[in-house]
Formats: sequence, structure tokens, C-alpha cells
Amino acid sequence: MKFITYAENKIQLEKLASLVSAGKVNRDDLEVIVGTRTLSRYSEMGLEELLELVTLNQSLKLPLVLEWDVLQQENLFLKNKETISRLPLHEFKAIRVQDPGALNTIVETYPWLKVQLILENGNHNFQGLSRWSSFLGAQLDRLVLSNELSREHLSRYAGELSSGLEVLAFGRILLFYSPRLLLSPLKKEEIQKSLQDKNIEAFGTSEESPHAGFPLIENAHGTFMFNVKDLYLLDHLEELKALNIAAVRFDLRFDESFNHLETMLDLYYGRVSHADINIKNAHPRPMIKGFYNINKTDVLFTKLKNKRIQRQDDNYIGEIVDVERDQQMALVVKSKHLKLNLGQEVQLVTPEGKVKNVNINTIIDTSRLEKQSAATNEIVLLPFLSGVVAKTQVYLVQ
Amino acid sequence: MTNTIWTPELLSPAGSLEKLKVAVLYGADAVYLGGQKFGLRQASDNFTAEELKEGVEFAHERGSLVYVVLNSFLHDKDLEELPEFLALLSELKVDAVIVSDLGVITEIQKHSNLVIHLSTQASCLNVESAKLWKKMGVTRIVLGREVTIKEAKKIKEETGLEIEMFVHGSMCMAFSGNCVISNYTQGRDSNRGGCAHSCRFEYSIDFNQDEEAKKAFFMSSKDLEGIRMLTEFIEAGIDSLKVEGRNKSHYYAGTVSKVYAEALRYYKTHGNFLSDDLIRWEEELRKISHRDYTTGSLDEYADESSIYNQRESDEIEYTVSGVVLEVKENEHILMEVRSAFYPGDELEIMPFKGRIINHKIATIKTIAGIEIPKSKPGSVVKVPYMAGAERFNLIRKKAEVRV
Ligand code: SF4
Repeated sequence: MKFITYAENKIQLEKLASLVSAGKVNRDDLEVIVGTRTLSRYSEMGLEELLELVTLNQSLKLPLVLEWDVLQQENLFLKNKETISRLPLHEFKAIRVQDPGALNTIVETYPWLKVQLILENGNHNFQGLSRWSSFLGAQLDRLVLSNELSREHLSRYAGELSSGLEVLAFGRILLFYSPRLLLSPLKKEEIQKSLQDKNIEAFGTSEESPHAGFPLIENAHGTFMFNVKDLYLLDHLEELKALNIAAVRFDLRFDESFNHLETMLDLYYGRVSHADINIKNAHPRPMIKGFYNINKTDVLFTKLKNKRIQRQDDNYIGEIVDVERDQQMALVVKSKHLKLNLGQEVQLVTPEGKVKNVNINTIIDTSRLEKQSAATNEIVLLPFLSGVVAKTQVYLVQ
Repeated sequence: MTNTIWTPELLSPAGSLEKLKVAVLYGADAVYLGGQKFGLRQASDNFTAEELKEGVEFAHERGSLVYVVLNSFLHDKDLEELPEFLALLSELKVDAVIVSDLGVITEIQKHSNLVIHLSTQASCLNVESAKLWKKMGVTRIVLGREVTIKEAKKIKEETGLEIEMFVHGSMCMAFSGNCVISNYTQGRDSNRGGCAHSCRFEYSIDFNQDEEAKKAFFMSSKDLEGIRMLTEFIEAGIDSLKVEGRNKSHYYAGTVSKVYAEALRYYKTHGNFLSDDLIRWEEELRKISHRDYTTGSLDEYADESSIYNQRESDEIEYTVSGVVLEVKENEHILMEVRSAFYPGDELEIMPFKGRIINHKIATIKTIAGIEIPKSKPGSVVKVPYMAGAERFNLIRKKAEVRV
């Protein structure tokens, strides 16, 4: 299992190289993601700086991976295609992409360049993952999976997919990614003092949520909101290794997180135990396991709707649309195939789930004329039945 | 002048069977709807199998197409139930399915011959992305709302795919599909239909310790309105214009469908929108509940002016009095009441085509014929026959304060 992290400047790259020299991490176990301000969501590195870093790495020889993870509309995207064409791509072990457009560009133009495909957004099923994997074939280096997948699913995918899989083990959880600049309108004065090239950072607290202090970043790519708690799976590294996960990512780009690097490497190699480390206390925000143990984000859905007011089967005749207490109930015949006839037995299912059976002895139309039957779209009056309310569903008993 | 000028398809939301009928009757060329599962509106009514069957028959009989949304990002266990639903959709001959997840696309291709449109949830934003999805077998792309019409034109020209763009309605502030706020704050998967609209909330923003937190609806978007951009859509050859709003009211579905259908019909005949009707159409769109309107990114990428930095208010110019359930010529009309009205009120019938018809309501009766002083929302009432009214017509009233 590889140890993946980011380097945001020369100092961080040199620090990583020094850890390799000191035997803290094997070069082969390590992979370093680098980006630029235009290609990556959060990188603040200019193109020149990246090129210098690549030159520096010719001596450090760390496995570098280029990140191109922004989503962009056509006009902006074209500029990035152009940037990519000017980069020394052979210096990178692979490129990481998220936008299918970036993926297509790499597949069509640079078929020799390995791809790490970021599937962190959606892609929560085996069929999709294996289709992406077979689409890329030998060009695929790794699939970067969503942090909404539980251990159970990771285990299945690692067992059944031929491609390597990567998961986030430590770092911010991205909740929201908008191309619009949402913080600068609140920061007008500073903008005038030419802060354009810098990120604007803040914490947001919503009036409706019990959670407070969502980290926010606005940069040239738009606005990002993160969860108030960061992801922490450091106590599951052994397990992830056993599941055959190919790479774990430690996102140390924010706050002072890069200072934890050595501790994390010690943990990764089992030189210290999880119980010995103090990252949770030292970290500025609380941490969670996200959906690693279980993902039940669909269970509330059934409660959100009342199944009883939905028509169910072939015997459906229609719906009560009006009830006048002690007088009558109005039924709209909705079935296209069934008629309501005198003498038939019907079953009424109220929105609260009460069920009543009744024989139809009179049918009166809205001009108060007696009828033998009622067909599609007709509105007819039936004798009042206590407990029945509007939206009660009516079925023929056959 | 002959009716040969090309205009795009008008695609309206159908949140329920009744709304489907309203949208089709008010002029939608196509409607999109969701089944009980697999779409992104889990809390809404959605269609049972029987309703779906009736809805498809109703639309097809009137020349409208039906697209079914399967645009959730499905998990493995959700996929298990998909083949059965696909068999139903194939049997009912729905015209396309709208999908965002490659796993779902793969299942559809394995189990059916259904036509696949790529959902806006997939945030397809550029030519290369569209090319890739074409390789995956989609025939139409519902572009991300961040794409301009000019860019959309290019995507169409360079890929040969059909292009669908949003023309009207609420907007996700995030790149669609790239927001999971509800997943982590409410335990509801926003990409499986559980979005809690956290972007509409007020937030207090702390920039640094010395500064007081600023309160703002900083993530809330104005609503999209593309009526003034119709010429650009047409000239760019955009195949389908989509109206957002499966969760919205019958009135919304009816009004927006009517306005855009009328506008497109006008263009078909005249080849332009040089008409005072444009102002009338805009006025009509202001009579439905909406946030301030913006053209979003249709022209230029949306900027600060597209943020709706205020709490939503209920100040509406018009209320929907009801939907016509039955018309007995020269006798009476039965109306399902949506909001209360009184004898003597001026009501306006929205005919499926043509101008609004005004009527003063003389009496209101129960279905049994007993006169009542006021109509009660949720009930059905009998009012005197109003010439021009048809089943499923919407009837509205100017909002007023009653003391
Ligand atoms: S919370 Fe807002 S931005 Fe997020 S999915 Fe819902 S509508 Fe879209």
C-alpha cells in the first residue's frame, strides 16, 4: 500500500526527500501529488514554480504525480489543455484527473501517460468502477475512490477489480464545489487592495445546521466548502492494507497539517501504534470516520413520503378528492381500464393507513343524477363513510 | 407564413401524473419525471408503475415525449432493483432515460435498448467531456448550468450530440452533483434525492478573529430565466430547453410551459420575438413564485449578481385558486381548491393556448350544491360555468390582503 501526499512548494518536496534519505519512508512506497494554480483546485503554485520543482526533482527522484482536478467550462478548459501541452509530462509518474474532458484529452493525446482517475464524486457502484477501469485499460494507474464508500464496499471492489484503488485516510472532506465566487462579494475592500491572486479563507456557520465552522475557500476556481470535521482513518491503516487497497492518501495541505507528516509515516510503517499518537488533539478541527463503517444516507427517504397516498396496483379505481361530513364523498375515477359499477365492493385506504371495505349502493353524478357506473375522469358522489378523508385511495375488491 | 421554422423542444417537469397532464396540455413537447426510486427527488410524489403507464399514454397520445430520470448516483444495492424498472420503461416505450452514473448507464445498456441522455448531474462542461460520454453511449447531453450558449453550440458542433440546456428554474449553486452537504449534515444523500437545500440557508461567515462575522445567504442562487435568450438558443441549435422544477406546483408547471411554448410557437411563425408579447411572457413568469431572476451563465459565466443574498419571501402577485376537474357546459365547473377564494372574486382562467380569461365568481357551492361563503383549500367546489374553461386548466387570482 502506497503513501500518497501533496507537496505544495520546494520546501515540502525537499522535506519529503529528506525523509526518504533518512529512511523514514521508502521511495517506492511514496507518491507526491503536485499541481498548479490553473490545473488544481487548491494549489497556489504558479507554472514557473512547478517547472522549478520538477527540475529540482530530477535530483531528488521522488515519484511525482501531476494533478488536473478542476472542472471547467469549455473556454477555461481549453486554456488548461494548452497548459498541459506545454508541461514536461514525461517527468510525472501519472496524471490525476476528475473531469471526463481532462480524461478524454489524456487518453486521446497522451496514451503513454498513466492515469489516476478521481472518482470521488459519485461512482458508488461496482458496475461503474469496472467500466471506468476497462475503458482505461493499461493506461489506468489507479482509481481514486469516494469517501462515502464503506469498508464493506472497499473490500469488495479491492477484491474484484483488477485496478489499484486509492482512498483518503486523512484530510478535509469536500462538501461543496461551485465555480462562482461567493466570498469576495463579502470582502470587497480587501479585493480592491488587490488580493485577487490569493485565496480567501473563512469559516461559515449555517443557521439551520447544528454544525458550526465549515471551512471555506474561494480561489480562481470558485468556492469550496468543507465539512466541519476532517476524515480520520489512521486507526484503519492495517485494515486497509489487508483489504488490498493500493494507496492511502494523506491530505496535509491545510492548516499546519504538514507537520504531522513524520508521525503519519511512523504510523503507516507501524513504528508507532495508533494509541501512541496525538494527532487528533493537535489538529484544529474534530475528526470523523465519515461513512467508512456504514453508509445509511438513504434510509430516511422512505419516511419522507407517504406510500399510502400512492396508487398501488391493477385494481386501482381512483381517489377521494372531497369529503363532506355526514353527506357524501367525491371520487375521481382515475383508472383508464376499470369502471366503478353499482353493487361492487371497494376498498378505501386512507393516508393514515386505515382500510375500509364498502359496497357501492348509490352513485350520483355532480348534477345529482343517479348513475349505474362511472368511468375514467368522471367525478361521482358516494355515501359518506366516517374516517375517510381527501387523498384516500380506492381499489376494487375482485 | 409557413410553420417550418425550427425551434427547440420544450421540456417541462412532471412531478406527478397531474402535473404531467398540466405540462403537456400547456404546451410541453416533452416532460421528464421520476419513478419511485433512482431519481433525485425522493421526497416528492413521483410515479408508480400505473401512473407511469398512464402518463406515457397521455403524453404520447398528444405528441409529447417522456423522459424518465435515473440520475441518482446509485450504490450497489440500489442497482439490484434497476433491471426490473428498466423492463417496465422499455415496455412502456418511454422516449429516453436521463442518467448521470456510469454504472447506471452500463446496466441500462446491458438490460435494455433505452435511449440515454446524460444528466446535468454529471456536470458535462466541455467538448472533450461530451466526446467521452459519447463513447459511453449517450446520445444527448444535459449540459451543466455553468456552460454558456456559445460553448454549448461548440459542444454540439464538435460532437454531433443532441444538447439540452436549462432555460428556467431554480439552480444548484454547486456544480451539479458536486454537493454533498446534506450527506454529512443530515445523513441524507443529496445525490440520491436527499438534498436539504443547505445552500439556501443564511450563514455567518468568519473571516478572521478581529472581524465581526458577516451574515449572508452567500450560497443561494437566483433563479434562471432564459426567455430573453431564446433567440440565442435557437440560433445555436440547442435541441432541448429544459425547465427545472419537478417539486414545484401545478401552477408553476402550467405557467412556465405555457409561456415558453407560446414564445416558441411565436418564433415558429414569425422567425423572431419582435413582439409586445415578450413583455407579457415576462410578466407571466413573474406571477409564479420565484426568487429574483438571472440569466445565470447563459451569456457570460454567472457572477456576483447571480447570488440571491436574502431570505425567501412569500410575497407573490398571484395565487392559484385551483385546478379545473370537470366542466359541464352551461351548467357548472368543479374546481379542486388550492387557495381560498370568495363569491365576488375576479378569477382568471389560464387557457392552454391564448390569453387569460377573466371571470367574476358569483357563487361557490359544495359538490352537493350547498352554497358556501368561501372555498376551502383541499376541497372540491362547484362554481358557475365559465366559458373557455377546460379540464386541467389552472385558475388563479390576484393576491390581495383581506382584512
Ligand atoms: S444544497 Fe444547494 S447546491 Fe447543494 S445539492 Fe442542494 S441545491 Fe444543490
